[in-house]
Amino acid sequence: MTSTLTIAGLTIKEAVRRRLLLAFVAITVVIVALSAWGFDRLSHTHSLTSGEANLAVPDALILFMFMFSFILALSASAIASPAISSEVESGVLMTIVTRPVRRTEVLLGKWLGLATLLAGYAAGVCALEFGVIQLVSGFIPPSPVLVFVYLFAEGALLLTLTLGLSTRVPMIASGVIGIAVFGAGWLAGVVGALGANFNIATLRTIGDVGRLLLPTDGLWHAAIYYLQPPALITQQLAEGGGHSNPFFAQGAPSFAYLLWVGCWFAIVLGAAMISFESREL
Amino acid sequence: MSQANSAEHGAVRADERSEANAPDRLAAASPASATDGAVQAATSPAIYTEGLRKTFGDTVAVNALSMTVPRGEVFGFLGPNGAGKTTVVKLLLGLTRPTGGEALVLGAPLGDRETRRQIGYLPELFRYQPLLTAREVLRLHCRLLALPRATWSTEERRALETVDLLARGDDRVGTFSKGMQQRLGLGVALLGDPALILLDEPTSALDPVGRHDVREIIRGLRERGSTVFLNTHLLEEAEHVCDRVAVIDKGRAVATGSLDDLRGHHSRVRLKVGGLGENWWSTLGRFGQWRVDDGWVVVEGIAPAHVAELVGELVARGGRVEAVIPEQQSLESRFLELLAER
Repeated sequence: MTSTLTIAGLTIKEAVRRRLLLAFVAITVVIVALSAWGFDRLSHTHSLTSGEANLAVPDALILFMFMFSFILALSASAIASPAISSEVESGVLMTIVTRPVRRTEVLLGKWLGLATLLAGYAAGVCALEFGVIQLVSGFIPPSPVLVFVYLFAEGALLLTLTLGLSTRVPMIASGVIGIAVFGAGWLAGVVGALGANFNIATLRTIGDVGRLLLPTDGLWHAAIYYLQPPALITQQLAEGGGHSNPFFAQGAPSFAYLLWVGCWFAIVLGAAMISFESREL
Repeated sequence: MSQANSAEHGAVRADERSEANAPDRLAAASPASATDGAVQAATSPAIYTEGLRKTFGDTVAVNALSMTVPRGEVFGFLGPNGAGKTTVVKLLLGLTRPTGGEALVLGAPLGDRETRRQIGYLPELFRYQPLLTAREVLRLHCRLLALPRATWSTEERRALETVDLLARGDDRVGTFSKGMQQRLGLGVALLGDPALILLDEPTSALDPVGRHDVREIIRGLRERGSTVFLNTHLLEEAEHVCDRVAVIDKGRAVATGSLDDLRGHHSRVRLKVGGLGENWWSTLGRFGQWRVDDGWVVVEGIAPAHVAELVGELVARGGRVEAVIPEQQSLESRFLELLAER
């Protein structure tokens, strides 16, 4: 456990000293500032009634948060893909794994450090964006903490997958695979929504299987659900377009689904540990 | 085979050593009971391998490697590029798994986690966290070694002093030259007073002064009682510091012994002797093949350690020894000869 924490601390220290992290923070601040201007215009425009504006702001926020979820996924993939593979290639890891530590401790330490960074980034983004929205429009999502939790879980899921790939696959490949799988997961969700809307069983199955194989879209929809005010849910359901809208969530994730997500983390992290433990360096 | 024996018989071909170090091997290889395991681990050789083999697909990287490195010795592991030296080091560290054979390091199976506490390692591809300072890298390894926190500062300082990096201790490793990074790597390998230090090409990035310093450090380690496994293709390096060496080629040890053993068969001495009576040459036969060449007596194949004995014998028989010129084959030419024999 001590070794895991040592590696986690090392991972955080190195990441903080990298300029990449600074770049992400700078981009985020710029985007949040721009969004503040946009939301201010949206909530004070004369072309919408106050009721319409009350629904337009959360709608636009969901789109904004989708962009952030993509940045989060990109960040997760970018920081996890070199974590093992690059250090094996460069030789940095050789002196670490020849110390009296288990390779699983090294992997867990990397995961813990990167997940902490990701959690910090997700928390910062949520706090900043929600604070700005409330300031300019008065809107606050119904459960901002749960939005953070699901956004972070979505990023952490991709981080786990990419880190697992990094135990065997070179950096570029694991990063690209991570992002591609994230995109495929989102697309499967859209296909599933279309299947539900038009009652096409095959498409619905694709969506269901996609959400099980890579639960990022399921977690994203959980975050959406907690971003939506009740009025927005009522309106979407009344209009009947909710099923096919990839930016709408009808309900909170079921306990069984969350249990599966927990199992998914355990399975992928376990597989990553076995992969790294058995790798010849 | 003891060192005395091997000195007598000259260089030991690895495949002729069926009885070599048999007691050590038995001690090391016999299953340890729960009660005497710790004692056995402390008295076993630093490194013991028997028929160690590693293949990568159809490529044989290490082929039936058998060797014993006693504790407290500086052991040179020599071979040309691609001979399998680094693979052996990786096997000994548990970074890669053997395909066959058996091996013990400090009396424990390969890769044993607790034993790694007593092992220092400088990899051939030395890279350390570029965003950390040298002190932070050393502190990281103190943590991983689980050294008592109270000793960290002392360990850091001692390591930095030993490798002459004290003035750069607070600089980031990314600003270091290759040579400085290799020095730092050596400092990292020395943390915690390891019983066994595996150095893989430790002077590859160093200038002549740095190489000299490393030799001094290795000598210091021997005086302290540590075992040093020096993996190198620089014969000069081995000649300066090693007690014994193994020559490896195509994954197989082709010769093992002290440097004198290795060159012994191929050394000779030229003597100018006068005043001897009849049958004086009968003395020479047991030291090696002899001939007379332009007034000089030339004894071929005499071990350097036996030259003094030969001179004493001649003097005892009334000989007047006017000149003694030992001529030894260089390690390099013997090394090339061994590789050519394969």
